Amino acid sequence: MHPDDSPIFLQLAAQIADDIVTGAYPEESAIPSATEYALFHTMNPATVSKGVNVLVEQGVLYKKRGIGMFVAAGARELLLTRRRAELYPNYIEPLMHEAAVLGIAPAELARMIHDQLTLQEDNS
Amino acid sequence: MTNAITIRSATRTYGRTRALDDVTFAVPEHSICGLLGRNGAGKTTIMSIIAGQDRESSGRVEVLGHTPFEHAATLSQISFVRDNQRYPDDYRLHHVLRIAPDFAPNWSAEVAGELVAAFRIPSKTQIKKLSRGQLSSVGIVLGLASRAPVTLLDEPYLGLDVTARGLFHQALIRDVESQPRTVLLSTHLIEESASLFDRVVIMDRGRVVVDSDSDDARQLAFVMSGTTDAVDRLVAGRPVLRRQRIGGLASVTVEGGADDGIRAQAAARGVQLAAASLQELVAAHGESEPEIVQEKAGVRA
Amino acid sequence: MSAIIPTVKLHLNKRETTFGVPLYITAVVALVSILISLVFWRSGSQPGTTGWIEGSQANPGILYALVGFLAYLGVQSVATTFPFALTLGATRRAFTGGTLLWAAIASAYLTAVFAVLTMVEIATEHWFVGFYIFDVYVLGAGDLTRLIPIVFLGALTIFTIGGVFGASWVRFGARGPQLIAVVLAVAIVLTLIILIPYAASIFAAFQLWWLAVAAVVAITLSSTGTWLLLRPAVVR
Repeated sequence: MHPDDSPIFLQLAAQIADDIVTGAYPEESAIPSATEYALFHTMNPATVSKGVNVLVEQGVLYKKRGIGMFVAAGARELLLTRRRAELYPNYIEPLMHEAAVLGIAPAELARMIHDQLTLQEDNS
Repeated sequence: MTNAITIRSATRTYGRTRALDDVTFAVPEHSICGLLGRNGAGKTTIMSIIAGQDRESSGRVEVLGHTPFEHAATLSQISFVRDNQRYPDDYRLHHVLRIAPDFAPNWSAEVAGELVAAFRIPSKTQIKKLSRGQLSSVGIVLGLASRAPVTLLDEPYLGLDVTARGLFHQALIRDVESQPRTVLLSTHLIEESASLFDRVVIMDRGRVVVDSDSDDARQLAFVMSGTTDAVDRLVAGRPVLRRQRIGGLASVTVEGGADDGIRAQAAARGVQLAAASLQELVAAHGESEPEIVQEKAGVRA
Repeated sequence: MSAIIPTVKLHLNKRETTFGVPLYITAVVALVSILISLVFWRSGSQPGTTGWIEGSQANPGILYALVGFLAYLGVQSVATTFPFALTLGATRRAFTGGTLLWAAIASAYLTAVFAVLTMVEIATEHWFVGFYIFDVYVLGAGDLTRLIPIVFLGALTIFTIGGVFGASWVRFGARGPQLIAVVLAVAIVLTLIILIPYAASIFAAFQLWWLAVAAVVAITLSSTGTWLLLRPAVVR
């Protein structure tokens, strides 16, 4: 898994959440079993369960007794809402901090973002 | 959660040598616990005592609620193959596979067969003449196929090639899933096995220096790197485990969690701060002089 | 659950060592005995004469030839098997008991083989040509009531003495066997010092069953010694 400061079970939860957002695991479909994750990532099965449980508590996954873990209806929207909320602290704040260190004025930063967006629109 | 292994103030002396010094830790049932530390830290000694092959000079060791030494019912629940395991004269693989089930009530011939095939252990060669990696493989077969509720693996990777190490990991995970058990595993290949552990115990010079949940182990030390001046000012008064220097730069491993205060100070002075990985934590403890650490801890308090 | 029976199985794991090799050695010694008889024959001795029979029956080769191997078996039954037995999960107590039981089984096997061969030797009038291999003085001169205790107790004594040497090696390393040898030598000399004035009367009163008692004492002491040495032994 990624070398990250957060505990491994949170890294796994983030990975599964990512896969739900990208559509790799559609809503109401089953995700791989704990053993499959453990074998794939060479990870302690208990750590896998801990990571999966984080998503269960958030209502992203739910358990079908005797069958396995499923992606809840509305899970994708839930995750997207949360990630939108995290856009500011996770990306915009550090960006502004870095810009300040480099002496880039807010107006210039705004212009740079605008230019980049236009460039991407042209390319697509 | 109940503990499969409980060790309280265990000390072991051989003549004037103190192999274990007031060792206390517990391994919860059904966990995979990494036992880490340098050579001579006391890992094999404590495993040997847990398996009833050795006995503590003082203190108390309990496995599944009993003192293992000479306790037949408990010993049949434990599997311990040491890294330099000795076998009787002229033994070959089939001798080992034939007798092991008589001692291990949960023995799985299926697991044994799969592992022997996967590791490609030659069955006609005398065990004495096997290569280091093949010898390790025999130990892994004994340890995993026993399906002992308490399985102790002492340096199972010695001499194993990268494919065999992968096979071992897969077999361990699969077997622990189908037959929950408590595993205590000692190794020097920390990066490779770190994600297997849900608990870690780090030993140094016969003492336990870290006994922690794997998730919390990331809060136990942090590494600061930057100019020597800035780093030195930041670490003043904190317990330093390890110091590395290059040119005017320093990288220092500090014991304890990084609080918001020091994070802010580090950011302000252009010092990078990151949680120590398990490998860095073990390396740092192996290098530290305990007296100095205590002194610094004293200054801090 | 006790590991005594599994320990016996552990010792019998290499079946050929316990059951095969003593047979091979016996066969080789029988062959050598025959060759020696042939030498006597060629040098003018006649099979069937009193001199021939006495000469052949005095040959103790068959017994001595096995002593070395039985002692090796006894030593390795503890020295190299003990660490592996502990790894498998045997207690020291069960290991000592199982090792003694295995030694008894191996001794009984040897006794049975010798008894059968002796009976065959007598029934075939000494292999049809007057060769004495098993019908010899040290084995009771064809008397099974003597041969059985001699072979059984003799083999068991050698096994257990070998075992205690092996145990001393496990416990103290290379110094262990030296230590036991010194203790034994001192004990024997002390016994002699005490008994030598009465030697003549002791020899006069000597009874064969004294040897049996001595063997039982030696077996008991060796087994107890093995247990006492192994109990605090540490595998490293």
